[in-house]
Amino acid sequence: MEENDRKLVELVADMEEDGALALAKEMLDGGADPLRVLALCREAMDIVGKRFEQGEYFLPELILAGEVLDQIGVMTKPLLQESPDKPAKKLGRVLIGTVHGDLHDIGKNIVTFMLDINGFEVKDIGIDVPVATFVEEIKAFKPQVVALSGFLTLAFDSMRETIEAIEAAGLRDGMKIQIGGGQIDDTIRAYTGADGFGLNAVDAVNFCQQHLQAA
Amino acid sequence: MNNFQLNVLGERINPGFKSTKALFDNEDFAGIQALAVKQVEAGAFALNVNVGPRAKSDPQFMAEVIKAIQAVVSVPLSFDFPGADVQEVCLKAYDQEKAGGQLPIINSIAETRWDLLDLLKIRPFRVILMGTERLEDGVAKPNKNGQEIAATAKRATQRLVRDHGLKISDVFVDISVSALIVDTTGMTRATLEGIRLIGSDPDLKGINISGGLSNIGQQLPVNAADGTNLKEQLESAFLTMAVPYGMNTILGTPWKNYKTLPEDNFVLNTFRDFIDLTGSKALKQVRRFYKA
Repeated sequence: MEENDRKLVELVADMEEDGALALAKEMLDGGADPLRVLALCREAMDIVGKRFEQGEYFLPELILAGEVLDQIGVMTKPLLQESPDKPAKKLGRVLIGTVHGDLHDIGKNIVTFMLDINGFEVKDIGIDVPVATFVEEIKAFKPQVVALSGFLTLAFDSMRETIEAIEAAGLRDGMKIQIGGGQIDDTIRAYTGADGFGLNAVDAVNFCQQHLQAA
Repeated sequence: MNNFQLNVLGERINPGFKSTKALFDNEDFAGIQALAVKQVEAGAFALNVNVGPRAKSDPQFMAEVIKAIQAVVSVPLSFDFPGADVQEVCLKAYDQEKAGGQLPIINSIAETRWDLLDLLKIRPFRVILMGTERLEDGVAKPNKNGQEIAATAKRATQRLVRDHGLKISDVFVDISVSALIVDTTGMTRATLEGIRLIGSDPDLKGINISGGLSNIGQQLPVNAADGTNLKEQLESAFLTMAVPYGMNTILGTPWKNYKTLPEDNFVLNTFRDFIDLTGSKALKQVRRFYKA
């Protein structure tokens, strides 16, 4: 790895936003392959994720590092359009929404953001989403993973209803459903009929990655 | 224990606390009773009862928990579940005499869950009213600023008094304290502004303003950059600003040491700077709580 490559990974992973953006610009202005720069950023994000899992970093670091990645992504975009190589393909499609009867959106928004920066194509269909809307959106978007969010205890019933409706519409095969938000554990997962649950955004990303690797 | 003269609605009967979840899982009623007594001895004016999703699948369990608690303490209880079917079981299980004649509390109603007021046919009660969501043209919407929170509180409280015979003092407006770690849209600022507007409204004199504090430090490290306990300091920082505006009740742990923080306190000052920020600036400010 070249000196600048290593330095860019360190700057992003160490939350040195200004330095990381300046170096990324310098590298791109100097003719560095934009796909290579993006790959280095993803390498840095892996380090950030590990530090989060080890308790060294917290959610703000995850989000802020993701934003740096986004900004570098914007810098590379015009160059990628000129490049003969296509940008990296998305890892898979995830449909996410807060189930009906629940208006909470903060956890859902974080998961959406984290999935996006980890390379997934995410469709966020909002809050208080009726069962029928989930079914229609799944038919149209054809996600590999559906993520149901909800904070209220009441949301567990809505999650169950939504999953039952997805099954009844014959859309469950080949697709995984995960739930998140509030006091969720394996008992709730079993109650709702979901395939998995997440306590935080990293769990949600891991679930999607595991499912797509297995598929 | 707190120097704010706050009413503490004891929060510990809730499976969100691991030790309490074990009590529920083992149906350890003696343990649940001991937890109730401990909270009352530490100063709780009432106890919140939340048995988690089992309330829905097995409402009689909630009734058994209520009866067990009322056998050992004489404070009122609040029933923490947003559905009428479960609340009905709770209201029927509640023995007002054992609570010194005090009314139970329904946790919670909202403009979007007004059907719960039909339960007044069973018995009178006080309510925790969600100030965080409203009904607009028949559609549920989250409140995103102080004016919306205060307007919802006023509209719903006046309706409770006018149409349902509640006293203003029977209403606890829940203002919902956000987790700072995810507050990039000024929700904490909106909450404080909502409290200020409700607390200064002469038409709402006597209303209770309440909220749970345990979210505020969620997923943050234990220690602040100055070496103090970050979560405790954040809870006290919020109260240091909110109590003068009129907040008088918390859903909290009665033995926690909530206290007014001095003007030169590191966490208080970092918090004051935080509430003016949004987006990534807010997140960067959150890091300052724990990164020297």
